[in-house]
Amino acid sequence: MDKNVVYTDQTWQTRISAPRHKQGLWELVKATPARIGVGRTHTRPLTKTMLKLQYDHAQAIDAVRSEVSRECLQAFDLFSVDTCFQDKETYLKRPDRGRVLSNDAVKTIKEKCLSRPQVQIVVSDGLSAKAIETNLKDVYPALLDSLEASGLKPGTPFFVRGGRVACMDHIGEILKPEVLVLLIGERPGLASAHSMSAYMCYQPRQGTIESDRTVISNIHPNGTPPIEAGAHIGTVLKKMIEQQASGVRLQW
Amino acid sequence: MHEDWITSAGIDVGTSTTKLIISRLKINRVSGSFALPRFDIVDRKIVYRSPIIHTPLKNREEIDVETLSGWLSDQYQNAGIQLQDIQSGAVIITGETAIKKNAETILHHLADHSGKFVVAMAGAHLEGILAGKGSGALERSRQVAGVVANVDIGGGTANTVFFKRGQVLGTVTFHAGGRLIELDDTGMIHHLSPSIQPWLRHHNIHLTNGSRIDFPLLEHITGQLSQDLTDVLTGQKSLDQLKPLLHSTTVDNIPDIQDIIISGGIGSLWQNIKQPANLRDVAIYKDMGPLLAYQLKQILRQSTFQIIPPLFSSRATVIGAGMQSTELSGSTIYVDPSILPVRNVPVLSIDLTGITGTDDLSQQQLKTLIHEKMLTGKKIFTENEQIPFALSIQGLEHCSYRFNKNLAHTLHRSYRTLFPDAEALITVCQFDMAKALGHSLKLLAKDDYKIACIDQIDVKHGDYLDMGEIIPPSMVPVVIKTLAFS
Repeated sequence: MDKNVVYTDQTWQTRISAPRHKQGLWELVKATPARIGVGRTHTRPLTKTMLKLQYDHAQAIDAVRSEVSRECLQAFDLFSVDTCFQDKETYLKRPDRGRVLSNDAVKTIKEKCLSRPQVQIVVSDGLSAKAIETNLKDVYPALLDSLEASGLKPGTPFFVRGGRVACMDHIGEILKPEVLVLLIGERPGLASAHSMSAYMCYQPRQGTIESDRTVISNIHPNGTPPIEAGAHIGTVLKKMIEQQASGVRLQW
Repeated sequence: MHEDWITSAGIDVGTSTTKLIISRLKINRVSGSFALPRFDIVDRKIVYRSPIIHTPLKNREEIDVETLSGWLSDQYQNAGIQLQDIQSGAVIITGETAIKKNAETILHHLADHSGKFVVAMAGAHLEGILAGKGSGALERSRQVAGVVANVDIGGGTANTVFFKRGQVLGTVTFHAGGRLIELDDTGMIHHLSPSIQPWLRHHNIHLTNGSRIDFPLLEHITGQLSQDLTDVLTGQKSLDQLKPLLHSTTVDNIPDIQDIIISGGIGSLWQNIKQPANLRDVAIYKDMGPLLAYQLKQILRQSTFQIIPPLFSSRATVIGAGMQSTELSGSTIYVDPSILPVRNVPVLSIDLTGITGTDDLSQQQLKTLIHEKMLTGKKIFTENEQIPFALSIQGLEHCSYRFNKNLAHTLHRSYRTLFPDAEALITVCQFDMAKALGHSLKLLAKDDYKIACIDQIDVKHGDYLDMGEIIPPSMVPVVIKTLAFS
């Protein structure tokens, strides 16, 4: 697991030097990924704390600019299509472009994908390709197991480069799946630059509103456990099909 | 937000008294809308408490089961509760009652006939823990830094439990209670419990059934008993030095106690006790209870402990049993509902901390580790071939899919080889991974055997586990009977 590289780097760790109530402090620190109990020098943070903050910020920026490797997609047999995002700069300035698939993409999808599948799986880099690189290997196979355990049938999965959440709607129009799940990289933060979300929707279509989407977020090794998230998605999708609803109207 | 209540019963059959409570536990989603579901018990309400009655006995050796069952069904009727409404809870046989001839039969009879999922408990350590939960000691330990001790003194035993930051450190039980000497207001001893005899001899006091005792001697006895208890709790005397007083212990030394709570019958007498002046004042319950309560209060007050009043006193154990014995599993789990409920399954524990590699060497290591552990399980847990044990998997805070798959294969292979006739495999994971592991196991087990894979429950080797029916949407109530401490 990448965890050693990414997070439990003991060398970064700073602590209050002589806490009055050591166990209480430890419990608080354990309860949150926020930078608490890191110590201070007079009224300022320690140099190490500041460096770690800058380091994490740099990681966040790198995550936005990164690309998902060909190997990662090949490992799961995902073909790749583009939205109308053009390039990363435009992608960041024009969110609307990430919601619409390119003409080529529409054509490829129509050629390669099973139409009207029960479950359509889509993977997209979104704002963090690193999120996909880190978590797909755990979430995706666990998701396939959970579909099997729930008796659900997936269609033809694929990868979307430069996608935004609402690209689900366009894909919904093209393939008409009963339910769609989009695994997409989240906007990187200082706690984690490789956090992924699973957005799920019952019969996504042009005009779907945000409250019709169900989401499991914060999926990464130190957040929502990736294999457990994958395992639970099947249950949620099954409930969507049973209740013919998603988002706030779904009971789960 | 999802909100639900379940009904829970607690029954305490003690040395001198028996009582029942019915409570409602509120279950609510505690995780955010964008997180995986996680539910917990967020509120507890007592909806009925029975009167406290004398434990019905046929004779000194046997509990009167007909009278007890009759009383219980009357109480359920008074409470307006149907048996099938009871979804959790515990019945505990405590103190000297637990050594009665028919105690075990009665315990399981009551557990089976008190609701859908009422768990049988016995043993001084469990009693101590339940009393400490019911008296509020556990909750207090979550708020303070030091050790909070609860001493539940009833008729026959003083069950002591030590909590620190919400965790049980251990329990000690003493032969100290109000009913160890039963007497009338003339000082005539009607019954002298055999369990106080060694301690009396230790102090060169000679008493016999049917003889008379005068007030100064009784004052001396209760005073000495209180002094010894206090000395051992403060650490002035070691547990070894007071062996005659010791019933059982799970610790070698008493930890440094900050706060102390006295519950049980003596605890409730303690609140408004006036100094008994003569035998008539003492013998109002036909035992030495009031004098013991008075003396203990005087002596304990001189110690350095901060004395905290209990939330519940004589009902502490029954409230612990009814309201705080049940936990909820994680909500992303995989359980075949047809095996529920399961009762009294021993726990076999395996620690996989640090073993997360997926290379050949690690795989071989994992295989050996699991196979050897299951062999141990086969040797020591021979009682139930259908479900020989529940395997508790410690560690794996971060579990990759590949490791999860390896783990499932390894578990499946060893279990199939060693327990070909088993009906089900139960695994309890420390961290949130049970649904993924459960799916992997299910895909391997097919319809060969059933799978129950739950998580976020803290169990140790030697504990016993009871698991009730699924509470919607997707969790199970679990009662852990802890016999061992770290």
